Formats: sequence, structure tokens, C-alpha cells
Amino acid sequence: MAPRFRRRALALAALAFSAAAPLLAQGPGKGDQAPVIAVHDLDGQPVDLGQWIGHKPVLIEFWATWCTSCQALMPTVRAAAAKYGAQVEFLGINVTVADPKAQVRQFIAEEHPPYRVLYDDEGVSQRAFDVAATSYVVIIDRAGRIVYTGTGGSQPLESALRRAIAN
Amino acid sequence: MINPVARRGAVALALSVALTTAAAGQDTAAAPLGPPTAIVVSGPEQGMKAPDFLLPWADKNGVGPDDAQFSLAAFRGQVVVLAFYPGDFTPGCTAEMQTFADRYQALFGDAVVVGISTNDLDSHVKFAQSLGLPFRLLSDPKQRVSDKYGAKGTEGHNRRVVYVIGKNGKVAWREMQFVATDPKGYDRLHAAIAAAEAAK
Repeated sequence: MAPRFRRRALALAALAFSAAAPLLAQGPGKGDQAPVIAVHDLDGQPVDLGQWIGHKPVLIEFWATWCTSCQALMPTVRAAAAKYGAQVEFLGINVTVADPKAQVRQFIAEEHPPYRVLYDDEGVSQRAFDVAATSYVVIIDRAGRIVYTGTGGSQPLESALRRAIAN
Repeated sequence: MINPVARRGAVALALSVALTTAAAGQDTAAAPLGPPTAIVVSGPEQGMKAPDFLLPWADKNGVGPDDAQFSLAAFRGQVVVLAFYPGDFTPGCTAEMQTFADRYQALFGDAVVVGISTNDLDSHVKFAQSLGLPFRLLSDPKQRVSDKYGAKGTEGHNRRVVYVIGKNGKVAWREMQFVATDPKGYDRLHAAIAAAEAAK
């Protein structure tokens, strides 16, 4: 194709896509810097994740009391927290959809989840990390770089945590 | 005139450029290119006519009759919410559908709500029963409808997309990247439904 026709075709195609087909951004993934944001705790107090992200390894699980995958994953997270809790900050951000505070408090009292429970009723972290589902886990190394993301009741958290600690 | 083969090549190249542009700022020179960090979407925009369709459905009570498939056109004059979702029994879809069920009256009022995925009707019945869903789930295994609405995702699953169709049959609101875990997304949906109900 002649260069001028090629340029015209490219311009037309780009114009068509920009007019009719918007681009949707995807969230941060493995290798990206983790967004440093602030969320709330169950008392409504702001909690700045910047006090940990970029300073020590961090594991974040996005969860809900009704999430069966989160319940299935709980023993794995509990074992990881017992082993690496001194080196890694374990955070459990409740996504708050269909999960009122009273229900969350009752769950904490009964289950004693192995992480610091946060309650993001503003959805700041869900949007920042593009959290598509509960049981979504993000592991971040000391430099604030994401080394692992995953979803579901069975996840290889220990190997990812070792990488986060070693980095 | 550009021949069709050349045109297709140019379009593919332009699409590739569009897809990788967003990623370029994040990749280091040494890092291999990962999956695209942006996706192209289409589907009817706000104010455009919502494409009509006919799909089989199921709810918590069982499979709907063959001769009474869900027809969007049959609900002209009512606000309709189309919730495209990836799959029954997945964590994200459970979050979304659980929230829809828990907040059904407050969120939707008199609007007609349907979920749409590629799952078969038997799966829909079990999923609806497991969450006690008070609305229908439509089965679109070949993604003919999700394609029309820009909700066709990869690997045979829908993306999570929500449309509010006004009483006039036109798109009143849409969110092409509905985040099932974001409480603000449900607030936006509720506001859109209220606005569509208030419109003539």
C-alpha cells in the first residue's frame, strides 16, 4: 500500500475507534507500583496504606463475610500470617457490598481473621486496585511493587510472600 | 481506493496501537510486554436505541417456558436493567448478584432487572436459588446479545457491564466496567434508575 494511503487508513481507523469505542483502563497488575491510598476502618477512622506500602511487604485481601472463596482461603492466609506476620503487614479490606458493619463485627468476633480489618465503604481501594471479586489478593514487596495478584479459595500465597520478602 | 486486505491490516495495526498506548507508560524497557492494560468497548451509548433481543431465562423457581422467552421490546414503557456478568458462582458475580438481591427494592424499585451470562439455564436456576435472586437470569451462550451491547469478553465470558434502558427503549445509562465490589457503583446505578423512572 502506498504510504499516503496507509497513513490515511491508519488515521481513519484510529478516528473510528476513538469516536465509537472508548478504551477502558485496567487496574494495576504484577510488576506495577501499588497505588497508595487511604481507606476507613470499622470505626470510620481513615487509615493510610502509605504507612506500610513502600516500607514493608504487604498482603491485602479484599473480602466479605458472605464470600465462600474467602472462607476457603482463610486457613491459607492464617498459616501465612502465622509464619510471616512479623515481616509482612496483613490487611483485609472488606468491600462493604451486602456486608453491613454489624455483620462484619460479628464475623470478627467469631472467626478472628488473621489480618487488620479495614472497611472501604467509599470504594477507594476497590477502584484503585480494580478489584473484580472478593477473595482478590494483592501481595506487594518492600519497594511497593506488586509481586502477586490472584482470586479464589486456593492460592499460592506462601511462594509469593517469600518473593515479596526477598525483593 | 484502499483494497480490503490493506484496510483490515491498517485497522488491526491502529487497534494494536490503541491497545498498547495505555501500557507504554507502565512498561520498563527491560520488561516483556504483558497483556494489554486497556480494552476497546462498543455497544449503544446513552441516548441510542437499545437493540432488541429474545433470550431464554430461568429464576429461582425454575426454567422459564420456551414460548415465553425474555423480550426487551415487551417491556417498553418500563425501566429495564441489563446486567451482563461473567459467570454463575464466580466470586465477582456472587458479589454483584448478592448485592442486587440484598438491596433489591431500594436499588431497583419498579425497574425490571435481568442478569445475562453465557451459563445454561440449569446453572442459572442453581445460582438463583443459592442467592435467592428475585429476578431472572438470561442465557446467552453464543454471546449474540452481549456482542450487540459491547459486553462480549474473552474466553467465552461476558464482561461486567450494566445498562439502564429507559421507558422509551433508549439507553439511559451504562457502565461498561462495573466493579462488583465498589459500593459507589451501586449508588450510581440507583441514581440512574431513579432518573430513568422520572423521565417521560
